[in-house]
Amino acid sequence: MTSSTKTARRASALGPGLAALCALLALVAFLSVTQGSRSIGLSEVLHALGSLDNDGSINSTVTLELRVPRTLLGILVGAALGVAGAILQGVTRNPLADAGIMGINSGAAAFVVFAITVLGVRGVGVYVWFAFVGAIGATVLVYAIASLGREGATPVKLALAGVAVTAGLGSVTSGIVMTNVDALNELRFWQVGSLAGRYTPILVGVAPFLLVALAASLVFGRALNGLALGEDVARGLGQRVRLTRVAAFGVVAVLAGAATAACGPIVFVGLVVPHMARFICGPDYRWILPYSMLLAPIVLLLADVLGRLVSGPDELQVGVVLGVLGAPTFIGLVRYARLSEV
Amino acid sequence: MRAWRPVLAALALSVALAGCGSEDSPADATEASGPWSFTDGSGEVVKADKTPTRIIAHSGEAAALMSFGIKPVGIFADESVKTDPNLKNLDLTGIEILGEEWGKIDVEKAAALRPDLIVGDWWPVEKAHSGLEEGVDEKSKKLAELAPVVGATQGKSIVQLAEGYEDLAESLGAKVDDPQIAANKKRFEEAVARFKEATAAKPGLTVGAMSPSDDKVYFANPVYAPELLDLQSFGLKVINPASPDPSFPYWENLSWENADKYQPDLILWDGRSFTATANADWGKKQPTWFKIKAAKAGAVVAWPAFWLHTYGDFATELDKLTEAVKAADPNIGD
Repeated sequence: MTSSTKTARRASALGPGLAALCALLALVAFLSVTQGSRSIGLSEVLHALGSLDNDGSINSTVTLELRVPRTLLGILVGAALGVAGAILQGVTRNPLADAGIMGINSGAAAFVVFAITVLGVRGVGVYVWFAFVGAIGATVLVYAIASLGREGATPVKLALAGVAVTAGLGSVTSGIVMTNVDALNELRFWQVGSLAGRYTPILVGVAPFLLVALAASLVFGRALNGLALGEDVARGLGQRVRLTRVAAFGVVAVLAGAATAACGPIVFVGLVVPHMARFICGPDYRWILPYSMLLAPIVLLLADVLGRLVSGPDELQVGVVLGVLGAPTFIGLVRYARLSEV
Repeated sequence: MRAWRPVLAALALSVALAGCGSEDSPADATEASGPWSFTDGSGEVVKADKTPTRIIAHSGEAAALMSFGIKPVGIFADESVKTDPNLKNLDLTGIEILGEEWGKIDVEKAAALRPDLIVGDWWPVEKAHSGLEEGVDEKSKKLAELAPVVGATQGKSIVQLAEGYEDLAESLGAKVDDPQIAANKKRFEEAVARFKEATAAKPGLTVGAMSPSDDKVYFANPVYAPELLDLQSFGLKVINPASPDPSFPYWENLSWENADKYQPDLILWDGRSFTATANADWGKKQPTWFKIKAAKAGAVVAWPAFWLHTYGDFATELDKLTEAVKAADPNIGD
């Protein structure tokens, strides 16, 4: 079998694969609405969903006002983190790139702390916007630092700038948090990624940004394929490498920034899911991006449902569950999928 | 910079020594005599040739001593002395502030005060005094080398804690029976009587000690909260949660989906996060908060979820709780 027929066969199977993932996502979303730390009968859930009318009972309230927004947020945030990870890995040609490495989490955290200590802001509904601005600011800063010098923002310089900015902002943040009990208490909620307690206003607030950026992200497939062959080849193919990089970084900043602002730093989704997608799709970013966009919310929601079920009447934050499950998955991927071939 | 430190310390010390001659002893209600001994919260008997007069105390313990007319020369607090609930309404002029952050005590400054006694609660779980627990800066722990450390034991009862400091104050020469000094204790005893009367009048009233947070609701476990144990011993039915968090059993953690697991008639709200609008705010923010009937009815009152140390503070808080108990409807949670 020649490699071109292999690719063709693969592509022909990938379309239906996307449809199957859509179905799987719907199934996981259904699980996320029906399962939780409170046990609610299926008929009651369906009744609440069917009438879309909160009859005032706690079960109806939990279904419509806690689980539905939580599930929608999980889908949006998951999709955003997955795609952001895939784009970052492609644009930096770094298989370990994720929002954390690019300074996004630390930028968001730094601004949240700034808002709490200097401006006296309280409540996640308010500082979600500071997190957003901080995330975008840190991304711009990382890109600006990496762009210094003759060759511009090369993958290696991007990674180094990201690590440097993360370390710098991180130490400032922990310095402030250690000496300020209020900041520590507020930040504690936000420092472990979670979908719990993220009420409807947060969903409504970040959804427009995420939807627009998700739609925009899908156009990067071809450009990322070009970059994967190396900068010179991409240029030879007539691509405007710098423009691609800047645009891609802009989209990633909005995606990961809004996701991190809403839910705190959720690790591993952005790192692992693009590799899962690559494992299924091969190196073509035109497939990797939509696959990441669907796989990531499936992973995120499954982890969230698991966290809700294992420790009732309490819940485990999804960030914790992903940390526990993500590490072995990642090691498995490294061993079996020849990670270096991004 | 580092090389200058000993010089600075020596300077500070000599300034302090020079100042001492003219200064009255801060604990002027007492006469230094001896020998002195006190049974520490750990059970150990601490002895000295002379009754200590230059005392450095942790914030709440300092407040307790001051309520008996004994003014420490230095205080170390776990937060800013402006916000520390134990120190509010106290005149701190003339007292050296040695720390305003948990685990950080300026021992050089403390040494310059030439203390002859350090006062901090004894924590049976950690087998250490306040200010010398695990996690405190190693440098700060050198405080213990300056003078003997004593304190009442933490754990099962705030009343016992207050009594412990009454004993300590008495040993240090405070005239605890002096009507002016004993006024707080009298006020406390009357407050307890009123509280007992109010709870006895509502035998069906149940309360839950709670603290809502952004991602879950915390339901306090009285077993680890001496102030709640005291309230229980005064007749208040504080609900013991069924499944406290195994790793931190001070709370049972309820997800927002399970916020209504307990239906007390009155909610005791963690005083550290209570505000006048807190209940309405959480009702707006978290859809299930008002599924707790008492919350919906506005039957909430702050409970002092921090370590009270004085009869006076305890009396003030008890009076507020008494009013809430009197106003509460014992059938809301049914």
